[in-house]
Amino acid sequence: MSNFEDWARATYRQVGIEVGENELVLIEMIYAGALGQLEMLDRINLEEFPARGIDLRHAPKAT
Amino acid sequence: MTHPQDLSLRQQAEAIRHGDLSAKELLEATLERLRSRDSSINSTPVIFDELSQVQISQAPAGPLFGVPITVKDMFALPWRAARNGTSLNLIPAGASGPYRNLRDAGVIVVGVANQHELGIGSTGIYSAYGAMRNPWNPLHCAGGSSGGSAAAVGAHLVAGSLASDSGGSTRIPASFCGVVGLKLTYGSVPYDGYFGAATTFSAPGLVARDGGDTRMLTAAMLQRPLPQQSGSGLRVGLVREPYWNDVDHEAADLCTMALKLAGWKVSEVKIENLELAGAAFLGRLIAEAGIPSSEVFATLSEPTRALLLAGMLAPARFVPRADRVRAAVRYSLAAALETVDFLAWPTTPGCAPTLEDPWVTIPSGRTPVDVPNVRQNSLANLTGAPAISIPVGLSASALPIGLQLLGPWGSEARLLDAAEHIERVSDRAFVSLLAPLAR
Repeated sequence: MSNFEDWARATYRQVGIEVGENELVLIEMIYAGALGQLEMLDRINLEEFPARGIDLRHAPKAT
Repeated sequence: MTHPQDLSLRQQAEAIRHGDLSAKELLEATLERLRSRDSSINSTPVIFDELSQVQISQAPAGPLFGVPITVKDMFALPWRAARNGTSLNLIPAGASGPYRNLRDAGVIVVGVANQHELGIGSTGIYSAYGAMRNPWNPLHCAGGSSGGSAAAVGAHLVAGSLASDSGGSTRIPASFCGVVGLKLTYGSVPYDGYFGAATTFSAPGLVARDGGDTRMLTAAMLQRPLPQQSGSGLRVGLVREPYWNDVDHEAADLCTMALKLAGWKVSEVKIENLELAGAAFLGRLIAEAGIPSSEVFATLSEPTRALLLAGMLAPARFVPRADRVRAAVRYSLAAALETVDFLAWPTTPGCAPTLEDPWVTIPSGRTPVDVPNVRQNSLANLTGAPAISIPVGLSASALPIGLQLLGPWGSEARLLDAAEHIERVSDRAFVSLLAPLAR
């Protein structure tokens, strides 16, 4: 078993879910794609992206 | 004689008001049409025969008195739990907030609109009720997740439907089925009894055949008048990368032609940090999705299970960063919308793919259609802004394409002005196109 498979199966067992071989292949493919996109967030400079309140009902208030 | 479901939603309401058509006659004709036409598209798997009659006797004399609509499976109704495209009752029966607003205007809910299971998909292929199909060609996807809403309206089974939109779920099927789909500003109506309450992305959506019908439904939903104004002379911003550059050329060409026809002042617009919007959307979406109960989980299709299970593995460290980017993108969008009235681009990367092969080939390569569908639509969900998809013609394969307009928070009336302006300058050429199943 690959590291991914060990880790994924162990994670899922914690919530009582068993996954099949084919399903795991699909999960790994989706996970890899998502992680690639999410890692863009690791590269942002936090000083350029201050934490700000979000009110989705309205335009953001001018700073 | 014109079948009552070939009348617009406005005409239906007016005919009842003037006594030219009774609510009961309209209901009978609608039920007959649902029974005779829906088997090939599976848009409305649950029909309320007797309960519809009861609703007529109880409906208030509002502006939509007696007008039949369908309601997506994501909203609880007083007599039926919301199942969210699964086989299980997930939100107990009760009058959900969005339903109440339409009920108070006098609508009759004739059935449940089919949807992609849990709303996690833009094709409409996976549902406990079976796949939704496109009224333009049943071998093609209706779109999702509100595929049943758009397919029913496109097939003239009903003139309006209550949908929802967490990542394009109203606009994508509207584009695929050749109808109008409007995503409301986030939080503009009560969310109780609605699955959208569990995410910060979702908003109810209204689906109808043209801008005027959508305006009537939207005014009822928002419980305020949305007076019509001229849609000419508006300023529209184009965000080339990726929204125009990475789509099928037919989609880009049809949308470009519609904008030229509109005669609006068009300019190029840049939204700072837009390249991070997809990552921010994904980061927070995964955090909000979670895993449903084992009872629900056991009923799901393999692709939906895989999406949820993959999300479960995502590290949590991305969430606060996603929120920072989300805040920044909202500021960027607000700045862009100070220079133009709205932004425009193709709603979908092309026309509806087949159910058998729901992939598309676009300049960046061959990909599952869900990926560019969500990319083209999620900015409105990430920021909370309203957006509309309006039909702008057919591809060479005789399938519809939609143009998306995204406006400032609370600008639903102006988006509808823009939609109706395109209808006027095109002599209603696009909204009058009839799907084969509607002929």
